[in-house]
Amino acid sequence: MNILIKSATIIDSKSEFHNTTQDILIENGVITNIGNQLKNPKNYQEITLENLHISQGWFDSSVCFGEPGFEERDTIANGLKTAAASGFTAVAMNANTHPILDTSSDIEFVNTKAKNHAVTLLPIGALTKDGKSEDLAELYDMTRAGAIAFYDYQKPVGNPNLLKIALQYAMNFGGLVCSFPQENKIAGLGVMNENITSTSLGLKGNPTLAEELQVARDLFLLEYTGGKLHIPTISSATSVALIREAKKKKLDLTCSVAIHNLYFTDDVITDFNTHFKVLPPLRTKTDVEALTEGLKDGTIDMVTSDHNPIDIEHKKIEFDYAANGTIGLESAFGALQTLFTLKKTIDLLTKGKSRFGLEQTPINIGNKVNITLFNPDTKYTFTTKNIISKSKNSIFENETLKGNVYGIISNNQISLN
Amino acid sequence: MSELSVNHLLGIKYLNKEDIQLIFETADHFKEVINRPIKKVPSLRDITIANLFFENSTRTKLSFELAEKRLSADVLNFSSSQSSVKKGETLIDTVNNILSMKVDMVVMRHPNPGAGVFLSKHVKASIINAGDGAHEHPTQALLDSYSIRETLGEVKGKKVVIVGDILHSRVALSNIFALQLQGAQVMVCGPKTLIPKYIDKLGVKVETDLIKALNWCDVANMLRVQNERMDINYFPSTREYTQQFGVNKELLDSLDKEIVIMHPGPINRGVEITSDVADSKQSIILNQVQNGVAIRMAVIYLLASKIKQ
Repeated sequence: MNILIKSATIIDSKSEFHNTTQDILIENGVITNIGNQLKNPKNYQEITLENLHISQGWFDSSVCFGEPGFEERDTIANGLKTAAASGFTAVAMNANTHPILDTSSDIEFVNTKAKNHAVTLLPIGALTKDGKSEDLAELYDMTRAGAIAFYDYQKPVGNPNLLKIALQYAMNFGGLVCSFPQENKIAGLGVMNENITSTSLGLKGNPTLAEELQVARDLFLLEYTGGKLHIPTISSATSVALIREAKKKKLDLTCSVAIHNLYFTDDVITDFNTHFKVLPPLRTKTDVEALTEGLKDGTIDMVTSDHNPIDIEHKKIEFDYAANGTIGLESAFGALQTLFTLKKTIDLLTKGKSRFGLEQTPINIGNKVNITLFNPDTKYTFTTKNIISKSKNSIFENETLKGNVYGIISNNQISLN
Repeated sequence: MSELSVNHLLGIKYLNKEDIQLIFETADHFKEVINRPIKKVPSLRDITIANLFFENSTRTKLSFELAEKRLSADVLNFSSSQSSVKKGETLIDTVNNILSMKVDMVVMRHPNPGAGVFLSKHVKASIINAGDGAHEHPTQALLDSYSIRETLGEVKGKKVVIVGDILHSRVALSNIFALQLQGAQVMVCGPKTLIPKYIDKLGVKVETDLIKALNWCDVANMLRVQNERMDINYFPSTREYTQQFGVNKELLDSLDKEIVIMHPGPINRGVEITSDVADSKQSIILNQVQNGVAIRMAVIYLLASKIKQ
């Protein structure tokens, strides 16, 4: 693959060309030259796009693609297509499939489905057999097959001793354990954040207490075991405070927040619109402010779209019965840019890579090319026309977003929209 | 103003003050009608109404059916204690099947909050919410306010305490919205476990001492404990609940003033109120039931007149 990118502004704080507009010459998947007015040596494909910006390829630590088992929601092939079109060069895929990905052959199946694609798919194996939170799955065997972390997607590890054992056991091979922050007995049958909106709608509330108790418990377990823990998708101000304190103890700890938990508050649920039914639930302004602060000071390590396609049959029903989740890849960049500067947005979209075993690939001469191409300044209303996912359950529908993606160059392939 | 601001009655929170006034004035007229020797008017001869009850109900269903028949509407009844989802059919499909038989209006009781709102967005019929989970029960709140107005002259400025299981109650929520809209003061009273943590943000007072609450109020609306909605025991025993939150005659007589006792029914005699309280002259429980028919006639009539336009 040989390409000459013309006149692209480089947004990459790790690159010596950060914040400058350059031509980039790519030969055989490697950046061979960066400079002004580069000549096209051998009639290579030229890319000239309006207000073109490039950065390191983006990464999302939590996506769901349905396959195997829920192909009515989406497939791996279409999920990867969505990721590429949304600017992501790597995604970590959750094991909430059917069957749940809890053996090495399950992991191999996913890898086979995803191979030879511009987007790198990193499979997350289930932490426990069949995701039942009773016995550990074969974590080592799955690691050998390519599992990058272990997570029973959005299902808490109810038994603290099981999480203790998981953290200890995974230390043998440096496995990353993920624990969903929710104490189910406190969350009860809650379907949205417990606050004035849940009260006035008569919907059962899921209090932040449910998350905070679990985060506090997990931090104690991490400190005791010395393992390697990732807490996916926190949503409460107190969780941020707890994690900030824990990080002072130099624990091997990371956490993430879903973009929609930064963008929306629970008071948007005025008419029982199930697009707003997500887990963790949308919280309050105080929580959003604390989460934002947590991202700024590094307490929260990364953002995720927590992309979760849900078919219309599980969304166009009564609020209590509707499934949790929203798609998020397509809107991730545009939504983040309404909340943060361009530089911070790119930082948040690339930071999580190393935690999930991916190398950083700064835009410098001699490095492998792994980049996202975008125009950061367009403003548009996000509608179902912008959705590539098979399921159209976007929480961002009709929101005004900023910035659109042109595509990616990654794995020696180019994928432009 | 001679018409409602809404096309459906989904909850009190979607109404304005003038809507309530109009419903009351219309109910005044129908109350006179149902006390005539011939208790029926031909107003809705061309309207078909389906009563869809996805949850058990006796009095609300009877009250609606009677109201519909007094207005000469054609009535279709459908009851299912199981939700349609469990049988594999969606709510929208169930209702659309019924609507395709040319039904104009749907009265629905459903165990899920927001079921009426959801339906109103997806089917072509006027919807009356006859209770949706712990969300709203608007006609109950309207008949409660109407009964207060009838007994005390007006609702504005009155102090009303709602006692009991606030957490699981759609009646409490609709009453809070209705009373506040009309300028009454509202207090809720019950064990902390049965009061939503953030209810004070709705602008109501919270009191856990029943005697203080009764001394404060002009009207006490006593709610039933909804054991069927509880996933855990919120108090140790009915006996202990009654000790703290039951109203008996002795307590009622010890108050400085004569307060009005209301109850949306069904009453658990000896639990939230004793028989001598329920049957006392201070109780307007049976007036509420009679007013329920007039209020429901008014609501159906006003919504039907919007369909006809």
